[in-house]
Amino acid sequence: MNATVALSFTLNGKLQELDVQPNMTLLDLLREEIGLTGTKRGCDVGECGACTVLLDGRAVNSCLVLAPQVAGREVVTVEGLAPLGTLGPLQEAFLDHGAVQCGFCTPGMLMSAKDLLDHSTGPSVNEIRKAIAGNLCRCTGYQQIVEAIEDAARRKNAAE
Amino acid sequence: MQNPACGTIKPFTYIVPGSVQEAVAALHKYGGTARVLAGGTDLLVEWRRPGIRMPGVVVDISRIESLRKIALDGRDIVLGPLTTHGQLMRSDIIWSGAAFLASAASSIGSPQIRNRGTLGGNIMNGAPCADTVPPLIALGATVTLSSADGDRECHLSGFFNKPYATVATGEELLTRIRFPALPPGTKTSFVKLGRRNALSISRLSVAAVVSVDDAGVIIDARIVPGAAHPVWKRAMEAENLLIGRSPSRTLFAEAGRVLSEVVIRETGRRWSTEYKEPVIASLVRRTLENCFADND
Repeated sequence: MNATVALSFTLNGKLQELDVQPNMTLLDLLREEIGLTGTKRGCDVGECGACTVLLDGRAVNSCLVLAPQVAGREVVTVEGLAPLGTLGPLQEAFLDHGAVQCGFCTPGMLMSAKDLLDHSTGPSVNEIRKAIAGNLCRCTGYQQIVEAIEDAARRKNAAE
Repeated sequence: MQNPACGTIKPFTYIVPGSVQEAVAALHKYGGTARVLAGGTDLLVEWRRPGIRMPGVVVDISRIESLRKIALDGRDIVLGPLTTHGQLMRSDIIWSGAAFLASAASSIGSPQIRNRGTLGGNIMNGAPCADTVPPLIALGATVTLSSADGDRECHLSGFFNKPYATVATGEELLTRIRFPALPPGTKTSFVKLGRRNALSISRLSVAAVVSVDDAGVIIDARIVPGAAHPVWKRAMEAENLLIGRSPSRTLFAEAGRVLSEVVIRETGRRWSTEYKEPVIASLVRRTLENCFADND
């Protein structure tokens, strides 16, 4: 029982090959096994969104995915937004708008926002609010986060 | 720090079938000790609850690509059980042939939950608050259960025995959901009452389909309340009241009162009745009004 499973998947653009226990979550795999601690553990029941990552381009709660379920798929974490050590445009916008206070929700917020901007060109404020509806923030009151995402969308459109 | 209400998942034997045949063979072999895993948005929460009895075997069907589809088959819409709520709410086929199913899907959980949670999971979990079920019952959906012995088809309206219990045996796998696409011009609406907007569990919901003829007279009405009865059913008394009449606020309010009376009669008077009675009535009225507001 619980024999380890050989797992191969793409993480932030790089192939990962390792053995995992099937009862491990993707969140634990990322934080405890691989050491990418940018993805945060909040509620562990899919309510707070702190552990949000992209799975095949879509935002998911990594606490609700079993590690072996990502076999053959593509995972992007907050570390993947700055692969060369320089911040990505969404992260820059979060800084510019004061959208980060304690910072705990930020990685999850960024990943939800990334899903939105990757699938929509000019999201409305309402669409932005809906896109981050699964991410709780206890500091900012959300307004700065919404403004940051709006600005990032504008910058992205201007660049294209 | 771990959430104290949330332990680690106990060990299990993990099986990843690549096809329906392999999945039903595994379910046949392990029978009642196996649990089917799809999106995991309910099960991973359940399995970490302290004291939960973990199934010995987990059959992860998430890699069976043939179970992930939204397709037209003649006049029917055919859905694979691995279709996510996100895929439902982004599907043109669903918006044109069953719009209220798309809006029910879009009301579930959060974007993250909708990207993982599946239609099949929503049905098989059998929770009275499952939001895709009221529209599916209003659509007259059937489900196909596959096992090592072959396939059988069931009407979704007779599929649920009681909360969290369906007629499916432990050896059966849900492999298809099918319903007739609604003709163009049919009016539908899904209205849900939760405690907040995101991540809310339905306290009450109503799914409705209404068709009118050229003279504006209602010729078909199907109303299914969610989270109101132990198992879902069409509200025949309220439906019959609408047939042959012209849509109006007064008529819809009357249908709401009738449906509310039926629910209270069947579930009995209890502490929440004083709240539920007017809320069900106005939710029904609002849903019927929405049918005419959204589609015109």
